Amino acid sequence: MSVANLYQQIVLDHHRTPRHHGVLAQATHNADGHNPLCGDHMHIELCIADDVLRDIAFNGEACAITTATASMMSERVIGLRREQIETLLASFDASLRATPDANAAVDLGELEALSELRRYPARLKCALLPWATLLAAWDIRISITTETAESPLP
Amino acid sequence: MSANVRSTRAADFDVQRCRADFPALQRHVHGKPLVYFDNANTAQKPLAVIEAVDGYYRRHNANVSRAVHTLGSEATALYEATRDKLRSFINAPSRDEVIFTRGATESINLVAYSWALPRLQSGDEILLTQMEHHANIVPWQLVCERTGAKIKVVPISQEGELLLDQLDALLTPRVKLLCLTHVSNVLGTVNPIARICAMARARGIPVLVDGSQAAPHLRIDVQALGCDFYAITGHKMFGPTGTGMLWAKRAILDAMPPFMGGGEMIKQVSFEKTVFNDLPYKFEAGTPNIAGVIGLGAAIDYINALGIETIRAIESDLLVYATQQLNTIPGMRIFGTAPGKAAVISFLIEGVHAHDLATILDTDGVAVRSGHHCAHPLMQFFGVAATARASLAFYNTREEVDVFITALLRARAMLL
Ligand SMILES: Cc1ncc(COP(=O)(O)O)c(C=O)c1O
Repeated sequence: MSVANLYQQIVLDHHRTPRHHGVLAQATHNADGHNPLCGDHMHIELCIADDVLRDIAFNGEACAITTATASMMSERVIGLRREQIETLLASFDASLRATPDANAAVDLGELEALSELRRYPARLKCALLPWATLLAAWDIRISITTETAESPLP
Repeated sequence: MSANVRSTRAADFDVQRCRADFPALQRHVHGKPLVYFDNANTAQKPLAVIEAVDGYYRRHNANVSRAVHTLGSEATALYEATRDKLRSFINAPSRDEVIFTRGATESINLVAYSWALPRLQSGDEILLTQMEHHANIVPWQLVCERTGAKIKVVPISQEGELLLDQLDALLTPRVKLLCLTHVSNVLGTVNPIARICAMARARGIPVLVDGSQAAPHLRIDVQALGCDFYAITGHKMFGPTGTGMLWAKRAILDAMPPFMGGGEMIKQVSFEKTVFNDLPYKFEAGTPNIAGVIGLGAAIDYINALGIETIRAIESDLLVYATQQLNTIPGMRIFGTAPGKAAVISFLIEGVHAHDLATILDTDGVAVRSGHHCAHPLMQFFGVAATARASLAFYNTREEVDVFITALLRARAMLL
């Protein structure tokens, strides 16, 4: 197992220069996500109009995996409706599991690079935190954690 | 399994022979020899411990203090022998004051619920320190919520030492108990317990010491320390998980109601009234972790055979070397630089998250902890979400430190 497959160039690139990092001038929704296992924290702001995500920004203190996921995710989700984001998340989630769903309908694009995480089960939550925080923001749930019973993860 | 082996001197210590006693240290991880630097989390177990647990189940398996048959007597003798070993390990005046628990967490909860809860009133204070493990914070918050008592916190310096003049000022008549760790699991700081206990005693304030991280590294003498409660957890001192001890002075224990009800802790039960058993059994309800306690006895024998002074000397040498080597890495920040600290090194490399570091190190066979180490308030003090932590034991080597440093440099190069 080579860890270089996990920390490959595309992941490191998003970690070093994250896209959509910062805040939005006009956020309609926001939420804070916490990973109590490591103390990481992510704040996500959304601008939603007519049920479509128009813009997104994130900030916080997080590891390379969480930051890269948030950055890649942000690039993918703009212009999508909530159901579309959930479908994307379902495919992404499946790609992280030991037995990826061969029929996963959605092309993950750059996010596919993170599927190497399936060899690092202790780090799965790092990649799921941005998604959980995004969906929480959509529901205007102001604060969530990766440890809640009714986590918005599928 | 006799403890009659004479202690090794540091100069005579043969680390390779010692390592051969620990089966897990022979392992490879991701094709690399395991470098186990997560000893403050839990320590590896010597064969003697594994065999003691195994031997109990193979030969002596029976319940303790209840069966009159041979196996019952053997099991009871082995189990009770650990109480004697623990008594002398901490130099307690009496074996009756040594209470078996599932670990430090249960020991502290026992004091919180049986000693503090009935005594605390609104306006009272429990004094903690900034460097406590959650196990020495949360039980106090729970009893404070129920009684209206408040928690006060002794601050620390940037080096990770308690500010004793502030401690002194906080020891007011409102304080009903001072609870502090002997050795910090994050900073390695060894707190001056004897001096602090003297300060508290002068005001009639009892002191609970969390000895979880002290037991594997230091000689413990509860009488010389002058504390009132001392908690230990077995798995960090090379014993089985789910074992531990609470020590307290007899007068204090006698005045405390039992923590849990059940078998073993009673003299006589009718549905109207129960006469509780004598110490220590009053606090040991139910069938305990017999195999684990017997294994803990073997762990104490192992430590004694090596000699705690030898352990301290070997670990100090490793600590100095590891600290020197770490400080050659650009962007290195070490948390906790108190003089005389234990071999626990929390650190961060600028621009590198502790979690990414731990993942990459693992692929080089190096096991370190990353995260908040169950010490959120301490992380907040230093303004970080997480740190990486290398915690060393006597079976670690300078060569392993070199592997660790090389792995850190590789991780840094990969991530920056
Ligand atoms: C300082 C300190 N106190 C208490 C504990 C809790 O020990 P246990 O979980 O074995 O009860 C630990 C273990 O992490 C510790 O490091």
